[in-house]
Amino acid sequence: MKLRVTAMAVTGALMLMSGAALAEGGLEAQSGETVFFRGWQYKTDIVQDNVDRYNNEQGGNVDYATVTGDYPAIMEQNLMAGAELDVLYANPSQAGRYFDGGWIMPAEALPNIDAIKADMYPNILDAWSYKGQLLGLSYFVSTRGVMHVNLKKYYELGYSDADFPADWDALYDQLYEMRDKGLDQPFLPHWINEWYGISWAFDFEVMNRGGQVAHPDTHEPLLTTDADGAAYKTLEDWKRIWNDGLVPEEVLTYNESSYIDAYASGRYVFSPQQLYDLETFNREDRSQIAGHASLLPYQGQSWGLLDSAVYLMTSRERSDGHTDDVKRFASWYGYQDQTGNVFVGNRWMQESMLFSGYKSVMESEAAAERMKSALAREQDIQAVLGVYAATPYPKGIWSVVWAEEFNSWLKETLQEFVQDDGDIVETIEAINEEIADLNKKYGL
Amino acid sequence: MRAAQRTAELSNLQFSLLLALPVLVFLLLVVAYPLGYALWMSLHEISFFGGYKAVFVGVEHFADVIGDRKFKKSLWVTVRFTLESVALAMVAGLLIALVLNRKMRFAGLVRTIVILPWCISLYGTGVIFSYLAKGQTGIGTAIAYALGIEEAVNVVNKQWVIEVLAVGNAWNMAPLVAFFLLANLKTIPSRLYDLAAIDRMSRLETFLNVTLPPLRFTLFVFTCITTVLSMKLFDFIFVLSGGGPGTASATLTYRIYKESFKDLDLGYGAAMSFMLLALILGTTLILYGLWGRREARSI
Repeated sequence: MKLRVTAMAVTGALMLMSGAALAEGGLEAQSGETVFFRGWQYKTDIVQDNVDRYNNEQGGNVDYATVTGDYPAIMEQNLMAGAELDVLYANPSQAGRYFDGGWIMPAEALPNIDAIKADMYPNILDAWSYKGQLLGLSYFVSTRGVMHVNLKKYYELGYSDADFPADWDALYDQLYEMRDKGLDQPFLPHWINEWYGISWAFDFEVMNRGGQVAHPDTHEPLLTTDADGAAYKTLEDWKRIWNDGLVPEEVLTYNESSYIDAYASGRYVFSPQQLYDLETFNREDRSQIAGHASLLPYQGQSWGLLDSAVYLMTSRERSDGHTDDVKRFASWYGYQDQTGNVFVGNRWMQESMLFSGYKSVMESEAAAERMKSALAREQDIQAVLGVYAATPYPKGIWSVVWAEEFNSWLKETLQEFVQDDGDIVETIEAINEEIADLNKKYGL
Repeated sequence: MRAAQRTAELSNLQFSLLLALPVLVFLLLVVAYPLGYALWMSLHEISFFGGYKAVFVGVEHFADVIGDRKFKKSLWVTVRFTLESVALAMVAGLLIALVLNRKMRFAGLVRTIVILPWCISLYGTGVIFSYLAKGQTGIGTAIAYALGIEEAVNVVNKQWVIEVLAVGNAWNMAPLVAFFLLANLKTIPSRLYDLAAIDRMSRLETFLNVTLPPLRFTLFVFTCITTVLSMKLFDFIFVLSGGGPGTASATLTYRIYKESFKDLDLGYGAAMSFMLLALILGTTLILYGLWGRREARSI
């Protein structure tokens, strides 16, 4: 207890010191230059409102717009071309590649970086650090692939909470029981046609089963072809449920919103979804399972993977004054505003239950209240925190320059594997070979 | 003296070349430079990580492309998609033109409605057909539900995705084909139809002997145009299927996009784009050799 109090005191002191340091330079825009802020499409009205607040209160000249389409590829082209782009959203897997391309300025360049780091959870700090440098500031942190359960349908089938599957094997077994009870398609897998769809589904299932796709430091391929291996069992079960018609074929064509809509329709019992979408599924105006959307708790096996996004600053050619304004805006938007409040982070928690990388957001009373109001049952808070705490991060395939190339290749390969009834061993060997080729290509 | 005057005059060819000179210069700048740059890229291995590097590799990329299994699959997908798109667009265009050529009330309004699909961007067409064809929002599911079948009907699947794409592409192109054919139809003198009636020709015989001959050159031209447009189509495919499911609809344009902009293998992507260019040129040359030359002679 003493240790915790001391740690909090040190953290607080660091934050105050950094606040004072920032106050000297201030967060007010100085150069009059436009700061170009770009991101993907998610609640753009809220983002615009946040930006407007900065522009109004801090004299900023921030130009915000969204990018539609293949976000990672489009942003990469923009960065490469030195386009008008100063602050952007990115997933950590993209951030490392951008850093190696020399297109981004790490968050280490911020004057209040020590305070930012002190307020960050160590595992998040580790996930967002690449080659020893923190690359970006917290946009959100979540568990993608947490196993959502539609309690209404689950109870109707005669199950209770005591029957919740503890791991993937138990889950697949239960799907077959459900089919025998008359529900043909109880499962909506994460095999969607987004760049983070089926490939991430494979990544998290392998990790949940205790495997690793690649070594976290050397990035050497680690999948094994033995029948008890995590990858083998994953692909074997995928083949089984696909060939037996337990999953809807069209999931391969879904985008994110179709995927959410499909699960919100109440047709399915289980689906690996985004943790924060519990809030969406429990909203009357958005979901037909409102009040019944829960999740499988941690019972010795993790569910999903650590999905997160950061705000990055580009390193394009700018005047020093302009670059200072970019830092000011990034700091205000990605950490604390002029009052010392993690304004944007707290707002996302309240609006969408987006988790933050900052302790000051996650450990606040307001966050606890928000989580309670978004969940179907009181006890789900413990389940959320339990699953979140155990979530793995695929450092071996994400904190590496070829992360996006591999992900794109894996998506195609796995979609073909499922549809063409592919060979398990050949597919695993192809994955290992692809990783080895990429390591060779980039001299790793 | 007369001979000297004659040589000072520009020939028709020279005069037309002179008139076309500004356009030729413009094309040289707009087309030749990017084409030349693409050729340069195709002969180099370009890397952006650890500093920009471009290493000369000769024709290695071209050799790799020829042996690439994914390239071959995309080639077949492109050919299948193009054949289906062109056949559908030409048949639909011809039928629409024949209908529009008939006397009808509100002909202007009907023509306006018919041309609308062509006015919609390919991105928009992709969004529309995505909604229509996918199980969750599609027309097949709506009909199935109306018939009491509680199962989604999804046609954006491995078996049918190319056909869905071809229908959408043809829906977008057919109005343009129809309007050019309609313009042709309007030039056919009505007395020819009177003569066909006197000769007691059936409807099919009238179509084959009176209507079709003046349309044949336009049909050839638009077969070429729709072939080229289909082969180089990207945005519609990207929006509707994203090359999937899996690689079921990964045409050459999609493959080039993936190689160049997702994998950032610009040299390889450039080499692949020259293969596509060769395919387009080869196909149009074959079309000209087999069909166009004959039609040009008969004009």
